[in-house]
Amino acid sequence: MNIIYTIIYLIAALITITGFYIQGNKYIRSMAMTQGFQSLLIAMVSFMLGFALKEYTFFILGILVIILRMFLVTYFLINKIPKNKSYVYESKISTTYLLIMDLIFIIISIFIVYSVSFVYIKTTTFPASNILLFPLLLFFQGLFLISSRRRTMAQVLGYIEEENALILLGVFILPVPMIIETSVFLDVLILVVIFSVISIEKPVHEKMEELRG
Amino acid sequence: MIVNILILIIPLIASIFYKNIKNSSAIASIIELFLLVFLYFNETGPGFFFVDNISIIFILMVDSIYLLSLLYSRKYVHSIKNRGISENFYYLLMNFFYVSMVFALMVNNYGFMWVGIETTTISSALLLITEKSDTSLEATWRYIIIVSAGVTFAFISVILIYYSFHTLTVTTIIYSGVKDTVAVRLAVGIALVGFGTKVGVFPVHTWLPDAHSEAPSPVSAMFSGVLLPVALYVLYRIYEIFPLRELFVWAGTISVLFAAIFLGYQRNYKRMFAYSTMENMNIALIGLSTFTYFGMIGSLLLLLSHSFGKAGAFYSSGNIYKMSDTKNIADIGGLINNRMSSVSLLLSSFAVTGTPPYGTFFGEFLILYSVFQIHFYAQFIIIVLSLFLAFVSINFNVSKMIFRGKSDYSENSVSTLIPLIAAIISIAVGVVFLVVYNEIL
Repeated sequence: MNIIYTIIYLIAALITITGFYIQGNKYIRSMAMTQGFQSLLIAMVSFMLGFALKEYTFFILGILVIILRMFLVTYFLINKIPKNKSYVYESKISTTYLLIMDLIFIIISIFIVYSVSFVYIKTTTFPASNILLFPLLLFFQGLFLISSRRRTMAQVLGYIEEENALILLGVFILPVPMIIETSVFLDVLILVVIFSVISIEKPVHEKMEELRG
Repeated sequence: MIVNILILIIPLIASIFYKNIKNSSAIASIIELFLLVFLYFNETGPGFFFVDNISIIFILMVDSIYLLSLLYSRKYVHSIKNRGISENFYYLLMNFFYVSMVFALMVNNYGFMWVGIETTTISSALLLITEKSDTSLEATWRYIIIVSAGVTFAFISVILIYYSFHTLTVTTIIYSGVKDTVAVRLAVGIALVGFGTKVGVFPVHTWLPDAHSEAPSPVSAMFSGVLLPVALYVLYRIYEIFPLRELFVWAGTISVLFAAIFLGYQRNYKRMFAYSTMENMNIALIGLSTFTYFGMIGSLLLLLSHSFGKAGAFYSSGNIYKMSDTKNIADIGGLINNRMSSVSLLLSSFAVTGTPPYGTFFGEFLILYSVFQIHFYAQFIIIVLSLFLAFVSINFNVSKMIFRGKSDYSENSVSTLIPLIAAIISIAVGVVFLVVYNEIL
């Protein structure tokens, strides 16, 4: 059993690394694909936990993540990325600067959120561990992605990353009832469809005089 | 149970008559009002749905503003030249928007409440681009991304509630008594940030002025009058689990202060009313957070009266925009020549700034009294000063629009009766309260 938990730990770390990879990436299509991979890793964590704890709900959750998050969400996103060269590549970002800012933001957020509160929450699946750090890292990474990018699609990916972090958090703390989890998945899927509709009309976001103040 | 289901299903049935959806939706909203009366006399005990006196008031608000907005939309939406969505699709989305709000109010489960709140974002997002422009697209985007990201926070709160109680049933948790653990405190605190995004708590309020100013006026009225109160209701239900009184009252007070400051330099009258909504919602949040009898009564009265007053203000704003083609306060003047529009704007403006004898005045009075009662003197002083600042800012701008200069706007193409009715109902709420419940004062 310890081996399974160690593997889960490593996959959780890998999920966080995919978050940083999306942040540093300039190619929108590649970012969307990485999101799909991130969802697959979350599904794997769910399957492994299901196996370790002999709980069938984890398997259902894993299947839902694969169908709705990994395939459908990625499909809608990739499908709506125009073939236009300027769109697939976001040039106006300084990767080094952004990653440094990202690290500062995440370290401060995690320090505030984790060390004063979440550290007291004992997870049912991983007692006496600090595994909750990984979903929290991913969550704040998603938030930073939304605020640091101007492209609609990059911001959508930040939002999906946040949602992925919530699945991971739920899996590690205590999964909420499946009916609610399914409703959340469907809600997010519809939101992604709306996002992608708007992304065609408004691919980049700049400050507007009419919306100041 | 059957009545609850009917309330959710009837607007959806009305949507089936897609070609005639304008009329079928209006009929559905009237039937909903009758069903609500039935629901009031046959309150739903705890089950999948839970409706008590508090939720009844919220459902009444939602249904009334939904009906008024549908009626006002008939002329308003029809006359939009550059429509982002078709007229029938607009009514379809309005129906879904209404159902998602009522679902969040009636359901007896924190998880489904979250789903209801998220669904309000889905159903209302495309309503914002009814009057399509580059600005409205940007406002829509900001609305979806900020609110969705914020509400995601709230789901952490739901996870923590489930972790603490092993159930998400509202009544089971509330009736189980206070449980003081880090997880419960964290759940309530995170809910303030998460659902607070939709309520308009500072500093996560930034979507609010953009969405309100760019949405078509009937949708702005729905946002301001009922969507924010629905989010506040959900936030209150979580607050009941473990009242973090100091945190919530301070959050509300700071938000009211900033709303009053923002109100001081507004150039766009719709943005001005949006910040006024932020101010009123946070006053109501303070009232509910005091967790006292007077605070509760004051908040409900404020929210009820505000919903009609603010709907009137946004309908009047819609009329002014149609007549003048500008949202800039400095470019509007001489509205006094348009009697109906100026009267409805003035009455609505009085309503949202808490002028006696409006319900908002008595509501604010009771909330201030409850803040004083729990010895939060610093907050009391800040709130009073902020209310005064907001009152002066809004009424000064509205007076300029009505009494300064001359105009030759025509009221022929706008519906002037609905804004006036909304503003009068707001007064009636206050007068009825004064007559029936005067012993409270």
